Amino acid sequence: MGVLEMKNIRKSFDSLQVLKGIDLEVKKGEVVAVIGPSGGGKSTLLRCATTLEKIDSGSIIIAGETLVSTSNSGLTHYTDKKKLQEIRSKFGLVFQNFNLFPHFSVRRNITEALIHVYKKSREEADAICDSLLAKFDLSSKADSFPCNLSGGQQQRVSIARAMAVNPEILFFDEPTSALDPELTSGVLKVIRELAEEKMTMVIVTHEMAFARDVADKIVFMDGGVIVEQGPDVISNPCNERTREFLSKF
Amino acid sequence: MSQLSSTLVQLASGLRFTLGIFFLTLLFSIPLGLLVARGRMSKNKIVAGLVRIYISVMRGTPLMLQLLLVYFGPYYMFGVKLADLDVGPFKYRFVATVIGFSLNYAAYFAEIFRGGIQSMPVGQYEAAQILGFNKAQTFFRIILPQVVKRVLPSVTNEVITLVKDTSLAQVLAVTEMFTMAKNLASSQVSVVPFIVAGVFYYVMNGIIEIVMNRAEKSMNYYS
Repeated sequence: MGVLEMKNIRKSFDSLQVLKGIDLEVKKGEVVAVIGPSGGGKSTLLRCATTLEKIDSGSIIIAGETLVSTSNSGLTHYTDKKKLQEIRSKFGLVFQNFNLFPHFSVRRNITEALIHVYKKSREEADAICDSLLAKFDLSSKADSFPCNLSGGQQQRVSIARAMAVNPEILFFDEPTSALDPELTSGVLKVIRELAEEKMTMVIVTHEMAFARDVADKIVFMDGGVIVEQGPDVISNPCNERTREFLSKF
Repeated sequence: MSQLSSTLVQLASGLRFTLGIFFLTLLFSIPLGLLVARGRMSKNKIVAGLVRIYISVMRGTPLMLQLLLVYFGPYYMFGVKLADLDVGPFKYRFVATVIGFSLNYAAYFAEIFRGGIQSMPVGQYEAAQILGFNKAQTFFRIILPQVVKRVLPSVTNEVITLVKDTSLAQVLAVTEMFTMAKNLASSQVSVVPFIVAGVFYYVMNGIIEIVMNRAEKSMNYYS
């Protein structure tokens, strides 16, 4: 069974249909890269999977827990508040523009949820924080504030913050789109390391070479549907639309 | 010279009321303003509408009129005699002044807070939600501290205005500093009490500027 199972996801904003029946399964330890043109529904799909947007119909199961389901009669039902919180503890999300808390130090960005949501002691939280900072090459930045870090460092902190709660699956929404090429490599290196540790990840990205290298499965989305998916979509696309998109890189 | 020192002493005795109105108004109007701001942003259209009317009336009519209404309203409208009623050590005229000021300033603070809250990027809420913070934790731990930094300059403006507005309490015959100065000026046939009162107000606001500047600086560690 997959860590993430999305079935027949439909989502509209007013009259604009953004997702037109998406099926996506992510197995444990799998790295899935979602590519495609802007406006194709990639980010919306990610936002639906992470509860930031509500779907109109379909079903989402995360780590065996049903987040939302649609009955045969067409009623879409989200789980209750308590279960929702439980499901949110199973995944992490890394944003395009980091969304770190600017008034907190790096350490507090990482430990605040551990202490106040996960009810860990300060010592435990600090230990988790220190090991993540060491891993992501940020040990000297524990007491810095986000505004004093480079974009690449900020994004690595936000990956550490997402990893701190020990999620079963990590989502990335264009993690390097706000960074210049020089800073991009540091962030990609961290994601690569996580992939080697068999962290289950879904990455929306425009970095084709990176997607090809790191992903076990590549999903090409356009016009609200998955046009093509598989391990070789980038190196060996079957679909005409996919080929056209990839030729621009 | 002795006249000046007696002027100082008498104005200083009026200063108690000025300071009393000032601090009590801040104490009540800031939390109330936060509540009103939340109401103004409520998804419940009836609540949002009522709060909107409240803010509109409070900002659109003179504070002096509002003070008179709080003081005389209960008796003129409902025959309830509060005028002789004291609350603890405070005369009702003083209590009415604080109520009037608090209701009025809450409306202004509410709009400042609303501006600050609505200027927060939605990503802050989303990041908090994903990390599992509940609504109260998100507001008090993540949003409010950042809002405070954003609204501080506007709040300073209001606080300075409040110092000067305390002189309006004279309409309810509260013997705050300005009332005192007026009485002294007419009995001494001199402008000195006015000048001294002016200095008092100016010094108070000078202190406020220093305090608020420090507060702003203390939050300069992030941007």
